[in-house]
Amino acid sequence: MDDNELIAALAGGDDMALRELFSRHAPWIAARLRSVLPAAEVEDVLQETFLAAWRGAAGYRGEGAGGWLWGIARRQAALWLRRRGRADAVLAALAAADDPPCPDPADAAVARAELAHAIRALGAEGSTHRETWRLMYVEERPVAEVAELMGVPAGTVKSRAHQVRRLMRAALRRGPASEGGRL
Amino acid sequence: MNDEEGRVDLDRVWAGVAAQVWRRTPGSVERTAGRLLRSPGLARALVTTPSLLLGWVAASAVVLAAGILATRGTGTPYVAFVAPAVAAAGIAYSYGPGIDDAWELSCSMAVSNRMVLLVRALAVFGLNTVLGLAASAASGVALTVTFGWLVPMTAMCALALAVATLARSASVGAAAGVAGWIITILARQETAGRLTAAVTDSMLTLPYLAVAAAGAAVVLFATRTSRGTS
Amino acid sequence: MNIELTDLTRKFGRTPAVAGVTMTAGAGVLGLLGPNGAGKTSLLRMLATVMPPSSGRIRLLDRDPGDSAQRREIRRRLGYVPQNLGYYPGFTVVEFIEYFALLKEMPAADIPRAVAAAVERVGLGDKARAKLRTLSGGMLRRVGIAQAIVNEPELLFLDEPTAGLDPEHRMMFRSLLRDLGQRATVVVSTHLVEDVGAACARVALMDRGRIVFQGTPDELTDRGEGSTAAGDAPLERGYSAVLAQARS
Repeated sequence: MDDNELIAALAGGDDMALRELFSRHAPWIAARLRSVLPAAEVEDVLQETFLAAWRGAAGYRGEGAGGWLWGIARRQAALWLRRRGRADAVLAALAAADDPPCPDPADAAVARAELAHAIRALGAEGSTHRETWRLMYVEERPVAEVAELMGVPAGTVKSRAHQVRRLMRAALRRGPASEGGRL
Repeated sequence: MNDEEGRVDLDRVWAGVAAQVWRRTPGSVERTAGRLLRSPGLARALVTTPSLLLGWVAASAVVLAAGILATRGTGTPYVAFVAPAVAAAGIAYSYGPGIDDAWELSCSMAVSNRMVLLVRALAVFGLNTVLGLAASAASGVALTVTFGWLVPMTAMCALALAVATLARSASVGAAAGVAGWIITILARQETAGRLTAAVTDSMLTLPYLAVAAAGAAVVLFATRTSRGTS
Repeated sequence: MNIELTDLTRKFGRTPAVAGVTMTAGAGVLGLLGPNGAGKTSLLRMLATVMPPSSGRIRLLDRDPGDSAQRREIRRRLGYVPQNLGYYPGFTVVEFIEYFALLKEMPAADIPRAVAAAVERVGLGDKARAKLRTLSGGMLRRVGIAQAIVNEPELLFLDEPTAGLDPEHRMMFRSLLRDLGQRATVVVSTHLVEDVGAACARVALMDRGRIVFQGTPDELTDRGEGSTAAGDAPLERGYSAVLAQARS
């Protein structure tokens, strides 16, 4: 059975299909998560990912099993980290893991450094842009929820998000080397 | 981060996923029983009692209904005759090597067979009492006759269970319970000249209780697991 | 020592099935060998607290199975695969294992994961929700093993567990035994001598209710050296030699 058939079977309550899907996809998802999280946490997130897939299989729109599962994994990781109040940097690195996987730890470190630099360009922690970035892109909350949390209209949230993207793109173009000794 | 600590154990992850996907959620009866008995295992053993299963309950109800109809027609309380036999069969089929395929294995369990027996016997007996009371209301037989069932039913249950345990066969136990009851009815009819005497005569209460006690003693003895060894 | 037996005897009527067995066992796998009627099953039944001894002393996990409270504690930490397991045809694999996990008084919260792990460990992951009546004899035997290990027992007793298993599953079973023997005391009764050699650190040979040999498989093999005893393999020859000597 191909992946799409497996997921369809999943929606029908076929637990053997879940087992097959797990054996096919858990290894690479685990590897990707592993580049940003310790092993024990990867295990928890991986478990929640496949349980979420089991419960949400009816929502699959044929977009490709790999992408669908990775999307679930990211959301589960974000949820899991949010519940534990974990640092932004880890969540950010998670977002970076969307890029083609870097098996070389040195490359992964560089990617993380570049991203950390871009985040710092948004301002101090707690500042408006930083908060917007955290809520919208790291915790992936919907616009309406962010608006409520920040106490501003949705339109304001959207324009702030636009500014955040602009600032980060510029920082990534400049690269961390340009920072000098600035914190 | 050394390699050992860094390894993701996919088998463990799958066990966690499978645990949620395969798990059985107990029904409300089982959950309540588990709290009352303070043992989820005992509650599970109770709800899987062969004679409590729906089919069996339905059959018992049908037998009693037939008894009601017969009673209405003839005026003789056939219901009262049938109820103890039904109860006896129920008990015999609820427990023991005759009906439990995994008998030897269940003898090695922390929830002892004796507890399972007790709980199942009470449940079957209670169920039959409820059916009997309902039957009594439907057929309008006097209350004394109704309560006259409880005692003979207990006696026949104990007899059936004792025989089932000793003979390691539920069918033999059920047959013994039914046979014992028939003998009692016929014996009383001989002496009193009325079929109804077997049920309503309160002088029989003591012998019935004696049979019940003897049956219980036999079962307790037969299900003991260990003599004291030093 | 998880098992301590002193002069253990079991009679049925006048016949002694077990006639004065003295033995101790700690962690590891002990193979119980012997011809049919040697008393292996009766000994295992006493170890599994299914049957009381006629006389003698038995201590399991430093407790006395004659006392009902201690017996209950022992049984929570015990796994048993009888020779004729029996099963409930209408139950699924998971339901059957879960039933006995509950009867072993495992904490309810731990049970789903333990059941899943046991199912996968015996290689029945693709049959988890199949009804027992649809399974082959070999699969049923593996279900029996799964219920025995679900509570990660400290004492594990298996009576002819590999009967009906195909070679692939017998190998899986042997490696499972070695795994389990690292933490638990495992006693495997079998008449298949080669199973013993592969998985057991120690061997006891029973004949007519008595233990006629205790030691390592290598020591048993040595007993067959230079004798004219029957057997295709060295261990088998040792087995025959010891039996012949015991009966002479």
